[in-house]
Amino acid sequence: MKHLRFAICDLRFFHRHGCGLALFFAVNFAGAAEDFFAQGVAAYQAVQFPEAAAAFQKSAQTQPAVGTFINLGLAEWQRGHAGTAILAWEKARWIDPFDPRAEADLKFARAVAQVDKPQLKWFETASTWLPPNAWVWLAGGGLWLAVGALVLPRFFRRRKTGEQQWLAALGFGVFLFSLTANLGVVSRTNTGFILEKNTPLRLTPTREAEVISTLTAGEPVRRLRARGNYLFIRTASEAGWVEQSAFGQVSQ
Amino acid sequence: MRQNGGEFRPLTAFVHELTTTATGQFTVSNFTVMVSGQPVEIPAATVTVVGDNSSLPPPRRLLLEPLVKNIYLGQSFRVRILLPAGEGNAIEALREIQINGDILMTDKKPLSFAIQTINFNGQLKPAFICEMSVTPIMAGTAKVSAQGFTAGREFTAPISITGQVTIPGGVPQYALLLSEAVEIQVHPLPADEPPGFTGAMAKLVRETPVLSTNRLHVGEPIHLSEIFRNDGDYTHFVPPAAPRSREWQIIADKPPASGFTLIPQTDAVTNTPVIPFCAFNPQTGKYYDLTIPALPVTVIGDGLPVNLPALENENSSAAPLKLSGLATSAGKTVASLKPLQLRGWFVLVQFLPVAGFLALWQWDRRRRYWEAHPDLFRRRQARRTLRREKRTFERAIAGQDATAFLQCAMSALRIAAAPHFPAEPRALVCADVLALLDAQDKNGRVGETVRKVFEAADTQFAATIPTPTDLLALAADVAAALQKLEEKL
Repeated sequence: MKHLRFAICDLRFFHRHGCGLALFFAVNFAGAAEDFFAQGVAAYQAVQFPEAAAAFQKSAQTQPAVGTFINLGLAEWQRGHAGTAILAWEKARWIDPFDPRAEADLKFARAVAQVDKPQLKWFETASTWLPPNAWVWLAGGGLWLAVGALVLPRFFRRRKTGEQQWLAALGFGVFLFSLTANLGVVSRTNTGFILEKNTPLRLTPTREAEVISTLTAGEPVRRLRARGNYLFIRTASEAGWVEQSAFGQVSQ
Repeated sequence: MRQNGGEFRPLTAFVHELTTTATGQFTVSNFTVMVSGQPVEIPAATVTVVGDNSSLPPPRRLLLEPLVKNIYLGQSFRVRILLPAGEGNAIEALREIQINGDILMTDKKPLSFAIQTINFNGQLKPAFICEMSVTPIMAGTAKVSAQGFTAGREFTAPISITGQVTIPGGVPQYALLLSEAVEIQVHPLPADEPPGFTGAMAKLVRETPVLSTNRLHVGEPIHLSEIFRNDGDYTHFVPPAAPRSREWQIIADKPPASGFTLIPQTDAVTNTPVIPFCAFNPQTGKYYDLTIPALPVTVIGDGLPVNLPALENENSSAAPLKLSGLATSAGKTVASLKPLQLRGWFVLVQFLPVAGFLALWQWDRRRRYWEAHPDLFRRRQARRTLRREKRTFERAIAGQDATAFLQCAMSALRIAAAPHFPAEPRALVCADVLALLDAQDKNGRVGETVRKVFEAADTQFAATIPTPTDLLALAADVAAALQKLEEKL
């Protein structure tokens, strides 16, 4: 309520002064996310893990943040939901690949749950070196830097210099490397994790279909296509259909 | 079975009921049927129908009495099959009793047997009575009849006897007896069938459901007891079916019990599942709700280890020994987990630099064009400056400012003429402007106006400056002169 009142007062101010609603919503959402985060921390400290998980989930839906996902993973782990916990920590790493807490929690969880890390292709591995959005800005910046270094001297009637040539080459180099990393980011959006233990992997997308095998919670899988309420996924060793609710995608 | 001498022999009989419409002798001729591939000759049979049968005993028939005649589809009802006593009030049992009707389903086992005194054709007579349960399986009008074999004193089940009766001894005759057909109207159920209807038809009352416990772990079964009390005469009870639920595994008790075993699959649940159930009341002809409500429960999750003291293999040695602590702040945030690469607006943003470079290219192209055509550039500049001077000129007229009008008029005339020489506009004199006009205009009103404007401007160099009071009257002529010059630009 405190944030809402603040936001309503600010709405009048911004409207009168010609500012957009974007700042209003940003302030309001950030405030709500902080409230949910605080509720989650309090519930976790009171050993009320389902309530803590629900609060962190709401906070993450309002404003995805590294700390929120780390805490969500801890609450889910305490509830015995290894798959959901691993997914939450992977989301934290998706936002910030350099966060040591998410990295450590994932290592610990995989050691306990006896599941592997996702098997990534070389360009997907490269895409993990920076946050996903950084690659796309890097690619855009590299391309336009190169184009600008080649074109702008002509427009402004400056002599072509060696520095400009080097700058253009560097820009193109960054652009080309970023392209592969961007491809890796897009490819990684199809990776996810099994949320429920003993999830049946079925031969066809029906409830009565033959069960090929059962999957462990937290097992990394790659989503290939969807049909109705089922997803066709590929694990490290086999492929089959699972219910959508049993699959958690990192980029969603 | 038929007694043949001292032993019983099994017989297969096909019974057809015939009713005569005239007296006389009727013969069914002999015919052959195939039995297990062998021809069997059926001999001819003759029956004599007489007009007066007072000497013959009346034929024995069964009586069929349905307790209700207007019923709903699926509503079980009772029928009574009565066999009145024969000669000397001798009572015989019935066996292999069967209810005949196309749209009926009969319970194989009769509900009860009794021997009671009934009013039969105005006389009190003892009768063998059998009650059976019948369920209609199609809507419409049903014709129901009963059949059974006399069985002497062979009572197949316990029987209650009221009054004095004679039960003859001897070997039973196993005579097939039939009843008259009775018409029953079967109504369809109303179309607005609510969820949870399993076919229960009765006036039921649901008692409060009871849970074996309300605090449990994930995967631990609890029992939900639910009792439905019958508040009517007769009930056809089908217990509620177990609904499907992601959070609960639900196992229904074996009918006719109406309880459930519930197993929570997650600790996220706070209530037992709602179990939809309803029944149909044939008396009111309406469905009514008997849904088992949700009951609050506390489900405790099975936590996972938060440290690794037991893992000793080499692979796990690299893993940290425990989980990280709780984050005290949200930390780095993003607007969405969906990467920019997959968002439509970001693709559109990439067109901004493209548009910038295109604008630069267009600007450079135009600049090169003006450099190649300086005369066109001067004329364009002159037109632009002239438009600005005209606006000032109009403001001077509107403000009745003769001095400003004069300066604007002369400046405008010079600007319109300058690109033709080319020259700086301020360097031009009256003759230069007149030189651009054709002979007719030069000697006409336009030329005269130009001369007047320049003469008036030259007076500012005179010793005494006259007040140009009538200059504003030249406004229309100056505008016409400017129009002529602008056409040449």
